[in-house]
Amino acid sequence: MTANADVLVPVVDRGESLEELVHAAEEHTRGGISNPVLGMILFIASEVMFFAGLFAAYFNIRSNAPVWPPLGNVEFNLRGHVLLPAILTLMLVTSSVTCQIGIWAIRRGDRKGLMRAFVVTIVLGILFLSGQAYDYTTLGFGINDGPFGSTFYTLTGFHGAHVFAGVLMLGVVLYRGMAGQFSARHHDAVEAASLYWHFVDVVWICLFTLLYILG
Amino acid sequence: MATTVLTPTATRARSGLYDWLTTTDHKKIGILYLGSSFIFFLVGGVLALAVRAELAQPGLQFMGEAAYNQFFTMHASVMLFLFVIPMLAGFGNYVVPLMIGAPDMAFPRINALSFWLLPLAGTIMMLGFVLGGSAAEGWTSYSPLANAKYSPGVGTDLWIVGLILIGTSSILGGINFLVTIFKMRAPGMTMFRLPILAWTVLVTSVLVILGTPVLTSALIMLFIDRNYGGSFFDPAGGGNAVLWQNVFWFYSHPAVYIMVLPAMGIVSEIIPVFSRKPLFGYKAFVFATATIGALGFSVWAHHMFTTGSVYLPFFSFMTFLIAVPTGVKMFNWIATMWKGSIQFSAAMLFALGFLTMFLIGGLNGAFSASVPVDFAIHDTYWIVAHIHYVLFGGSVFAIFGGLFYWFPKMFGVKLNETLGKIQFVVMFVGFNMTFFPMHELGLMGMPRRIADYSPMAGWNDLNLVATIGGFLIAASVLPFLWNVFISLRGGERVGDDPWEGNTLEWATTSPPPPYNFDRLPEIRSERPVFDQRHRLAGRATGH
Amino acid sequence: MCPLRPALPGAEDPERSRGLVMTRFSKGIPQGAVIVALGALAMLLVAACGTGVTVLQPPAPATEQGKATDWLYQVVFIVAAVIFFLVEALIVFAAVRYRRRKGDDTLPPQIHGNNVLEVIWTAIPVAIVAIVFFISWQTLNTVDAVSADPKLKVEVTGFQWQWQFTYPDQGVTIVGLPDKAPELVVPVGETVQVSLQSRDVIHGFYVPAFLFKRDVIPGKTNVFDFTPTEVGTFSGQCTQFCGLLHSQMRFSVVVKSQADFDAWVTQAKATPTPAPTPTPGPSASAGGGGGTGGQPAAVSLSAQNIAFDQAALSAPAGTAIQLTFVNNDNGIPHNVVIHRDSPTGEAVFTGDIITGVATKVYDVPALAAGTYAYVCAVHPNMTGTLTVK
Repeated sequence: MTANADVLVPVVDRGESLEELVHAAEEHTRGGISNPVLGMILFIASEVMFFAGLFAAYFNIRSNAPVWPPLGNVEFNLRGHVLLPAILTLMLVTSSVTCQIGIWAIRRGDRKGLMRAFVVTIVLGILFLSGQAYDYTTLGFGINDGPFGSTFYTLTGFHGAHVFAGVLMLGVVLYRGMAGQFSARHHDAVEAASLYWHFVDVVWICLFTLLYILG
Repeated sequence: MATTVLTPTATRARSGLYDWLTTTDHKKIGILYLGSSFIFFLVGGVLALAVRAELAQPGLQFMGEAAYNQFFTMHASVMLFLFVIPMLAGFGNYVVPLMIGAPDMAFPRINALSFWLLPLAGTIMMLGFVLGGSAAEGWTSYSPLANAKYSPGVGTDLWIVGLILIGTSSILGGINFLVTIFKMRAPGMTMFRLPILAWTVLVTSVLVILGTPVLTSALIMLFIDRNYGGSFFDPAGGGNAVLWQNVFWFYSHPAVYIMVLPAMGIVSEIIPVFSRKPLFGYKAFVFATATIGALGFSVWAHHMFTTGSVYLPFFSFMTFLIAVPTGVKMFNWIATMWKGSIQFSAAMLFALGFLTMFLIGGLNGAFSASVPVDFAIHDTYWIVAHIHYVLFGGSVFAIFGGLFYWFPKMFGVKLNETLGKIQFVVMFVGFNMTFFPMHELGLMGMPRRIADYSPMAGWNDLNLVATIGGFLIAASVLPFLWNVFISLRGGERVGDDPWEGNTLEWATTSPPPPYNFDRLPEIRSERPVFDQRHRLAGRATGH
Repeated sequence: MCPLRPALPGAEDPERSRGLVMTRFSKGIPQGAVIVALGALAMLLVAACGTGVTVLQPPAPATEQGKATDWLYQVVFIVAAVIFFLVEALIVFAAVRYRRRKGDDTLPPQIHGNNVLEVIWTAIPVAIVAIVFFISWQTLNTVDAVSADPKLKVEVTGFQWQWQFTYPDQGVTIVGLPDKAPELVVPVGETVQVSLQSRDVIHGFYVPAFLFKRDVIPGKTNVFDFTPTEVGTFSGQCTQFCGLLHSQMRFSVVVKSQADFDAWVTQAKATPTPAPTPTPGPSASAGGGGGTGGQPAAVSLSAQNIAFDQAALSAPAGTAIQLTFVNNDNGIPHNVVIHRDSPTGEAVFTGDIITGVATKVYDVPALAAGTYAYVCAVHPNMTGTLTVK
């Protein structure tokens, strides 16, 4: 395909996927970051703003409250409840590392390495979700227990939903990887999924620090 | 050079309807956006007529307060979220890939998803009308009024769900626009040769990506308050009533720019073409657009001056500052016309209508930036006048201008110019008749969102005038519907470039083929088609 | 400053108010944009000051704070009007002067920009904006000032859909009723400090003639001062949409001379308003004919969260009904009114309004068999059906 300045690709209606065409257009016009990865970065930017909204609400309500955590429920003091969440945090951080190991593997063209690393990542993600679900059952307050309950469950719940989405995303990548769709050159979806996973991890570290350590 | 082989496969014959339902072609999706948004415009318009009919005289003639409150709430919700925003997204969808010489949007299937979320969301929102009443708290849905205690009923929940879906659609669309503009530009199309509409869509997309998720978070918190006993917004449960306003306006003020910037982009395409001159001060225009976008995130609290909960001087000053880039744009448009050769096509008339109405909408907004004056006019009909001068006199006039301008590109036929001019005159008169008296009503003290007013208040005559004007606006839409109908059935066939356009969409056929271009002209300026027509080596970057 | 202004809202002739936007220029003028602009400006000034025609003027301010706001409004108005006419003149001039003539196919000069011009039209708006902001800020300090030692303190409480005015130092409380909007009575020439509180949702305390409003927010007390400058009655209304009957949430401010005010306080103390203090005794309720004998039927009903706990009640026909009404809404007034057939039907019984939390026993006279509706007079959205058989 030629790339003269005044002649673009002669385009043919294939009726189906545009991916090749988009790939072709992109590879001979703009270098640098790929479309899926740029799209994911922008999506993460919007997710950052979503959590910013929830965090802003948390800080606003907290700063307006006369005492924090509010009195009335001893369980509100989460600093005495830090062990399991700390283990979960460790798991999630580890899963970010294994995710990145998978990325390094596929960049080398090592598909097996990608598979192994992503299986571990997904297992850790599922363990995190199960652990958090168990943790919820041991807490002595619910989402309707005043501002503390509302903010706590909304923040951690929506983070959990994002972990779930991340696990699904990694699962799809794993499935496609098993089908041999990725190579050292073509693995944008893997990069995009790992970016999302790291983002989810960072949100949790902020949440853990805020809710369990600073209390 | 990577060679992904494009094997021509036989185009499968498909039924027309199936094709429209499954298309991932940005042009068809763009037309779907425009069509569905226009239907919602008619729905919102009917709701507005009901509101205006009720206000024509004091007393309740046609409906009770409950119905009235639903109607004005849904009028605003439909017009803002299901008409203006998607309509402009429709223009962006259709025109921007063409303008930048791209074969399609970066993510065609996500693009289709963005569109199809909208009719779904609209249906969910409207479902309230048949399920015991729609949302009725105003489109701003201030809490704690919107909490389950004061607004029971499923209508508000449906409104929340619909709005979250619309937000998701906007975010996906914004990402798609940004990747398309950053990554899919034709060779030679540098950032400072981007058509202004593409720039405004770019800045709008940034606002969407950073603002809309905050609204989503607010809506989710409201949903939790309403349905799961949350305590975010009701002080009775330890929440904070003003918190909702902060999170809501953090999105919803930038949302006004989401609804105005692409309209400015449309006008900035129309005026140079019909003045036969380049846009005056291209770079200044781009910087002004970016500045408006950036300032948009620092002025949300000017909707909250009367709450006694915000730092007034800061938000007042930032709000005043918005006048500067807006003024720059106004002067750029006028200077573009200056010494030009102006042709009064219907599209140009709507663009001129935009300039005048938006000028008023900007100036009457400045009154609200002055905090003590805002104390006098906030939440009165003055504000209703202001928002309509900006969003109707501004955005809607630009939208009609854009429809007249790009219709030949979309369908290969022109809309009838005479009918267009009739529509413009009636709409312009009707618009000013409806909304100019509202300034006076606001100053006299008529609050917004009231179903009824005292006959002794002295508001009778102006309300009657406004109602007559409202029906005149409705009447002005009829020639347009007729115009589209007759033009599609047998309008004047025009060539690929009926207006002597500047930008790349006029370099391809009307309507363009799938994937848009067989060949592209050389891109040496922001007006490649002009350069080609006049065989001029256009200057690189304006100035 | 142009001293002309309309009289109070009711007296204004709205027909005169629409002149501004209709101003257009004849096509014969285009000697130069500046001439057009100056002509338009002159027309505006003539229109505003020469003949007594008033365009876009707020009501005559009735407080000292309102006068400051009004002055600021006039400044902003003049600036806006001048800008409007200058820019609009430029638009119209450019459109008319540079229209394409028939047969003219020449390409106009391709001007891409002019840095000097662009800097000028960026700098001038910056200067204007800075000045107007500064003036606004100065005025804000006047309008927003809160006295440490006000002459009179009033606590204004908003609730769906009425107002309550409490004078803590005088021991007087006024509550509005659906057929009687409350009056906030204040002495002329003295600083009155208003503290605003809401019992439910957000309301807005707005008096057009004061050129002022402030939101009434639950969980937060907003305080402002006003100093009325003239005796009279000034209407006010809730401006923040607050639900079903937002449009009915009206009140007025009555400014009296100090002597009249003192007399009013004395009188108000002597006749406490019925609403906040439930009248004792079960027989105080209205109602005509008695029962046909036997024990009255006992029915109970309660109100919570602005709703009745029961959507339907039944009672025997021909017997007096003893209706025990429990108002569980703290600080919110409710009552029970029984209408024939539907909420819009004839009222056959009207119970006293009680402010929660409180209980009251209504003696409802015997009713004929049929369907009735019961409604809270303060909250017409609170309804239910009473079946008598």
